[in-house]
Amino acid sequence: MRPSCLVLECEQTEGGHTILLRSPALGRRVDAIPMHELGRADLSRYRGLLLGLHCDQRHLAARREQLEAYLAGGGTIVFCGHLAYPFVTGMERYRVIPNYRVDDLRVRKERPHAVWEGVAEDDMTFRRGVAGFYGRGHNPPPAGAEVINTLGPARVPVDWEWRPRAGGRVLVHAGADLWMYLETEGTAARLAPQLLDWIDAGSAA
Amino acid sequence: MSRRAILDGGTYYHAEALHGRRYRGCFGEILYAPELTAEHLSDVGLLIVPDRTAPAILRAKRPLLLDVLHRGGTLVVFAETGAAAWAPNVSWHFSPVNFWWWRHDEPPPPVALRAAGHSLFRHLSLADCVWHHHGSLAAPSGATPLVTLGETEPAPCLIYEDRVSSAGRLIVSTLDPFYHHGSHFMPAATRFLDGFARWAEEDWKS
Repeated sequence: MRPSCLVLECEQTEGGHTILLRSPALGRRVDAIPMHELGRADLSRYRGLLLGLHCDQRHLAARREQLEAYLAGGGTIVFCGHLAYPFVTGMERYRVIPNYRVDDLRVRKERPHAVWEGVAEDDMTFRRGVAGFYGRGHNPPPAGAEVINTLGPARVPVDWEWRPRAGGRVLVHAGADLWMYLETEGTAARLAPQLLDWIDAGSAA
Repeated sequence: MSRRAILDGGTYYHAEALHGRRYRGCFGEILYAPELTAEHLSDVGLLIVPDRTAPAILRAKRPLLLDVLHRGGTLVVFAETGAAAWAPNVSWHFSPVNFWWWRHDEPPPPVALRAAGHSLFRHLSLADCVWHHHGSLAAPSGATPLVTLGETEPAPCLIYEDRVSSAGRLIVSTLDPFYHHGSHFMPAATRFLDGFARWAEEDWKS
């Protein structure tokens, strides 16, 4: 099968990319290229572009034209991390929850979404008993974005999906890479396969 | 007087740690790593490579980085930069990160401070160096272990200083303070950078 997703490789020994790429079920569905070779990639060959937390966002911002053209052509961009250099018009910089405590980091599901189906809130909130990996703030959702999950009593929008007027889909998670949870115990391991399925299903999903 | 500088990998945590309010200007000139040129480093005597700067970029810029050492300058290199592929005599060993020890009544990593007289420890305590580490380093013969795991000989290093492998001074670490401070996710990492920033200022002036 031809991989339908492209991930930008940042050569970090632990965390998402490696786990995803070596998974027999999912690795064959994903291509990887070095982060800074984005400009040479033919994105039109892929349904999804996965941008993880270690990406050089200055480089992404410099490639805005390519990324927006990809969206306009119907592509899906999944971004995990804190936005420091907006690379798509309409996206804004990350804001941390000031002086957060554990209760501020509790994940709450706001609406059903195929990527998060069957994933328990506590399995997102805690990793080996440690809270905060999932998110400690938010990338402000643009007008028209649908908030999927929030954090704490302030209901900080940690996950959202947005369909820019120019086309395509943008899924944003303000925390560690969603595909990192693949090797964890519990329902959060469903995130990566469901993410790839959601990308493949396209806008009809 | 020579200049000091720090590389910026363009990540969000480098943006927060280098351009954010707390440490803005503390580490000298900020140089975007993918665009680094020999001219940028022409009179740089202290260059900091923050953790998680893209290894592919650092390999491509290797001659410029080695030139700092060759001229007798100081290069400080943090974790997850693939240093074994581009810096002299760096030998790195992978070990899985234990990020949960403090939640499960497990003992903290057996981190030991060595060479207590080193200038770094005028500004850093041992506790400032303890959160977790990304593998360990085998210090080359003649190098000085600064922070180790345990006190056996030879102890795996979390930080060492090497004045023998080049004409300059290479300080290598498997800690990732820029990532954690820049991610708002580890108070010890912020304390580490507070002390490291004071050391970098003092070292550059001395």
